[in-house]
Amino acid sequence: MKVLVAIKLTYDINQLKFEKDGTPLLDACPKVMGEADKCAMEEAARLKESGKAGEVVALTIGSSKEHQRMLKDAYAMGATKAALFKVDDPDTLSALSVANIIAAFAEKTGPYDLILLGSGAGDTHSSIVGPIVASLLNTPLLANADRVSVEGNNVTIVSTLEDGQYKFTSKTPVVVTVTSEANEPRIPTIRDILRSKKKPIDEVSPEDIGVKLAMIDLVEIKKYEVPRKRVKIEATDNVEEAIDQLIKTLEQEGVI
Amino acid sequence: MVDFEFSEDEIRFRDSVREFAKRYIEPKWIEIDEQGKIPMDLIRKIADQGLYAIPVPEEYGGMGGTMVMAALAVEEIAYHDPAVAIAVYTLLQNGWPLALALFGQEEAKMEILPKVASGDAFFGIASTEPQGGSDVAGNKVVARKVGGKWVINGEKAFISGVRELQELPEGGGFFLVAKTEKPGWSHTRITDFAVLPKWNGKIREEWKPTVYEEIGRHGLSTGGFTLENFEVDDKYRIGDVNKGFYLVLQGFNIARILVSAATIGSARWALDKAKEWLTTRKLFQGRPIASFEGVSFRYAELYTKLEAAKYFTYKAAWMADNTYLTKSPKFKPQDVNLPVAMAKMMGPTTATEVYTEVLKWFGAYGFTKDCTAYRGWLGTFSYTIGAEGAQNIMKYIIARDTLGSDAVRNVWVKEED
Repeated sequence: MKVLVAIKLTYDINQLKFEKDGTPLLDACPKVMGEADKCAMEEAARLKESGKAGEVVALTIGSSKEHQRMLKDAYAMGATKAALFKVDDPDTLSALSVANIIAAFAEKTGPYDLILLGSGAGDTHSSIVGPIVASLLNTPLLANADRVSVEGNNVTIVSTLEDGQYKFTSKTPVVVTVTSEANEPRIPTIRDILRSKKKPIDEVSPEDIGVKLAMIDLVEIKKYEVPRKRVKIEATDNVEEAIDQLIKTLEQEGVI
Repeated sequence: MVDFEFSEDEIRFRDSVREFAKRYIEPKWIEIDEQGKIPMDLIRKIADQGLYAIPVPEEYGGMGGTMVMAALAVEEIAYHDPAVAIAVYTLLQNGWPLALALFGQEEAKMEILPKVASGDAFFGIASTEPQGGSDVAGNKVVARKVGGKWVINGEKAFISGVRELQELPEGGGFFLVAKTEKPGWSHTRITDFAVLPKWNGKIREEWKPTVYEEIGRHGLSTGGFTLENFEVDDKYRIGDVNKGFYLVLQGFNIARILVSAATIGSARWALDKAKEWLTTRKLFQGRPIASFEGVSFRYAELYTKLEAAKYFTYKAAWMADNTYLTKSPKFKPQDVNLPVAMAKMMGPTTATEVYTEVLKWFGAYGFTKDCTAYRGWLGTFSYTIGAEGAQNIMKYIIARDTLGSDAVRNVWVKEED
């Protein structure tokens, strides 16, 4: 089985700090492999370890030292090949442009049996790159996997939806997006790190994979904002009543 | 060309340890300090992450890394375990295994080091004795050659890891400093041994340990032991007979770098906690405490001192790498003494100074057990008192290596009294 894992360098949300008005201090925040992407990478590493996957290719978009470092970390986690699609300012790419690049890379360097992505990036969290890649490649999509298993040509995921957990199975080739609940990703050991330092990183240009730069829509991102709303609940001493009220309010607000 | 940047490998390694420590150590450090024990599964997890025997060559089961990497690992662990028990356990498992790898005999290295790297065994230092630790030449534990073996008798005191090695599946032991053949003050009649009181799972009866009760850093045991006709095969002798004084001092140099790294990591945590407090705690009509120069200027001083201690520590680690690992012809082992002594003087002293100030900034809250900073204060203070070398010994080394040994020699010292 040949596996492609698309990973994104994103803000380390554990280290993100905010201004008083809620503006995130993005410039001061270190960047790391996205949490869900790391889980996708871990699934690929486990498939390789179990002998189910032979080749595991890690792909990212960007050109900074941090992008190169992240691809070395992908090697340290278990990738057999790493590719860097060179764009100077990857954060300005729209989700459609990113999906175009991943799909074009997959067509050029594939065929892949399994394409793994994080279900959403730590910053934009659009959750639409995976679905667009699947549609561009005309393959099935298994989205938001909390668990992934592979038996022969069948890929099965468990996904948590509003009313419970569902199991979905698809034949390969298939695109799977993985949540940050899927596993506990490994942390590369010193040996993994030292062994990965000399591994090559293939640099890929738009011409190499036939993506026209015109297809890339540049958008400017001004601010990432999580809308916050304060709702007051008049609580009484009756705890059960208060809980009912709280649940009702959360439902009204669409939180649960 | 001067370069103050860590290499790409070092940054990636530091980040991996940071993630590991945040995930597995930070949630447990208070519980470990309260219960006085590092859980065996955590000791194993640290081994699985490859954080023991980091600078030990791969042919002995080590990680093939560097002293700079070992210092980064210890600093990051101490940041997430400010009471420093896990950091010190880890530093012992790096420093003394490297000393054995550098000076030990092939067979002993092949036998001991892979088990240390895998976390199954412990390997620390046994130099200090009840009469003192700074005066290594005055040690009284004696090793006599009887037939083909060495027979060791005497008592060691204030030794780290005495309980852990009894609990580990394989056991472990110490880089032990002994007087050759007879007691008496001498630095030219000292031989070092890898002494293994518990090995292959069996505890030797000729080894009688005790464990002390300490005021801080409770997760790691400190104790003493007596050796009664403890037989050691000659293959466990470290270095030549009567050259042990020079070798153990080099071992101390290696370990002191990591001790300094541990105290720096813990103090960095304390300053980060203080920063949160000073910028959010408000007094006098809503002014953050940091707006008072009596506080912010002191913070600036301590921040600078800690940065300086960090530079000393990583320079010393870099010197050790050049001297012992890449064996650069530019450096001799004695060149490492001065940067190490400065690092070991700066690290623990600065950490103690940081904690003393931070606890005051926290006010009365700082004197409660709810404020966890006291755990770091007590833990790092062990190294200001002198574990792995008293602060006055560091000053002696710095004075000797700068003013010249003739100028600072203690005139009353006579060899072989």
